[in-house]
Amino acid sequence: MELTMRKANPFVATIFFIAIFLLYTPLFYLILQTFLNNPYDLKSGFTFRWLLKLFHSPSLLEPLMNSLEIGVLSASLAVTVGTFGALGLFEFSALLPTTIQSLIMLPILLPEVITGLSLLLFFLLLHIELGFATVVVAHASFSASFVYFIMLEQLKKLDPQMAEVAQDLGAKPHQIFWKVTLPNILPGMMGGWLLAFTLSFDDFLISFFTSGAGLTTLPLKIYSLMRIGVTPELNGLSFLMICISTFLVLLLVSKEQSRKWVLRG
Amino acid sequence: MNTPLKSSKPIPLTALVFIGWLFLMTFIPFLIILGMSFLERTPLGTISFHLSFNNYLRSFQYIYIKVLLKTVWLALVATLSCLAIGFPVAYYLARSRGWLKQLGLVLLFIPFWTNFILRVYGLVSLLGNHGLINQLLLEWGLIKTPLEILYTRTGVYLGLLYNYLPFLVVPIFSSLEKLDPALREAGFDLGANRIQVFWKVVVPNIKEGVFVGSLFVFIPMLGEYVIPDLLGGAKEAFLGNVMVSQFFVMQDWPFGSAIAGMLSLLLLITLWIQTRWSRIGGFRNGIDNAKS
Repeated sequence: MELTMRKANPFVATIFFIAIFLLYTPLFYLILQTFLNNPYDLKSGFTFRWLLKLFHSPSLLEPLMNSLEIGVLSASLAVTVGTFGALGLFEFSALLPTTIQSLIMLPILLPEVITGLSLLLFFLLLHIELGFATVVVAHASFSASFVYFIMLEQLKKLDPQMAEVAQDLGAKPHQIFWKVTLPNILPGMMGGWLLAFTLSFDDFLISFFTSGAGLTTLPLKIYSLMRIGVTPELNGLSFLMICISTFLVLLLVSKEQSRKWVLRG
Repeated sequence: MNTPLKSSKPIPLTALVFIGWLFLMTFIPFLIILGMSFLERTPLGTISFHLSFNNYLRSFQYIYIKVLLKTVWLALVATLSCLAIGFPVAYYLARSRGWLKQLGLVLLFIPFWTNFILRVYGLVSLLGNHGLINQLLLEWGLIKTPLEILYTRTGVYLGLLYNYLPFLVVPIFSSLEKLDPALREAGFDLGANRIQVFWKVVVPNIKEGVFVGSLFVFIPMLGEYVIPDLLGGAKEAFLGNVMVSQFFVMQDWPFGSAIAGMLSLLLLITLWIQTRWSRIGGFRNGIDNAKS
């Protein structure tokens, strides 16, 4: 019985491999195009020209730096606010009134196009000039809720007895927080930070509405290059970004793997 | 933990920071856009502060209802297609072991982590008239003129399917992972065959997670803007595209806001149907599944 259970259904396996293949086709095509003399002609020959051109185009450096800075700042803001929320609401999380629960879910459920436009109206009404700061705040406005849920999970794993023991040993509330609670929730905070950073770095639509005319992030730059039409520069950039995301996933997996090894050993 | 003593404590200040943040940065802007939908644009292009329902009456015109129905229909078909493909993919991953599972997860996560706009760009260049598909088909002599996929409804459908598939595989995978293998074994021991175990043991236990996972794909699809914009062109606008063009092209903010109101109503209806269908408590589980 055991053996038949482990064997994968060939039909299921086929769908899996076809799906993975199709998932990668557009990405591999972008990479392939980077190295073609004419990106839209498969037989036009191999070249490094487009990739080299990318490194000489300063017009992409600025959006990249903006995206990184906005990501770091908005993730830090979201982790601060979201962790505050989880710490404060943890004890009540099972008995929260529906209104508060809906308020927390609202940024996750609201379509980005509504979030972006409503924030735009909000900033315009308050006469706040659109730019770097508005994008940072806008990104943190929706990622804080994601961080809150991650932190809530992290706090659930925390043994409540630890704080009680610390209290019995004479620790004051702030000491309990800094010496017991914080070190234990730090991994969750890092996870939340990474998620918030990814959400910000990946975001197009909310930046599109809240960035104003002067500021460009990387996704905004890609969008405007796409609008112009084919630019081989864009393919070079795609190649680079696919490499980065592959590297990040492999890094995360290998870290996870090594942690498992340590735990076993 | 749940002693009345603790629950009667006042809500701490730290929580107020978070609630205040949500109130100020999400709820108030949302109220502003809803409020705007009840105002009216004057012929001069300014906004008159008179309460009116005209925008909503206008949104019931045939052209807007058609866009609404198309949005719901395409989102629904794409969600069901994601489910049909995503389920076997997640099932295969959950049932495999060792390095194969690791590799499968890595393969799934790389596109997931690749920039969204870039994934759309990949599809645009793949499906275009000079893209890989048409190049190969022309080369092999299967077609005489390039297939029109880009800037059609098929293009939008493929875009939705391609971009949202990983987002559905992950929650299905995690609810399959949470399933206790002893349950399946008990089913086999009691004499059920594989098909019976699948339908009577596996499906009832993961139904909730799969349902909420589908909802978390369906809802953002309803509000999609980028995919119809870049893969569908002007003909295949979703509600989100009509809304944005009312804001930036027509300069009619109140009417654009009314479309936002309509989209929000659509969301509320979806969520209402969801809560009606699922048992109380199942929703929370499902949300946890969708997140992890």
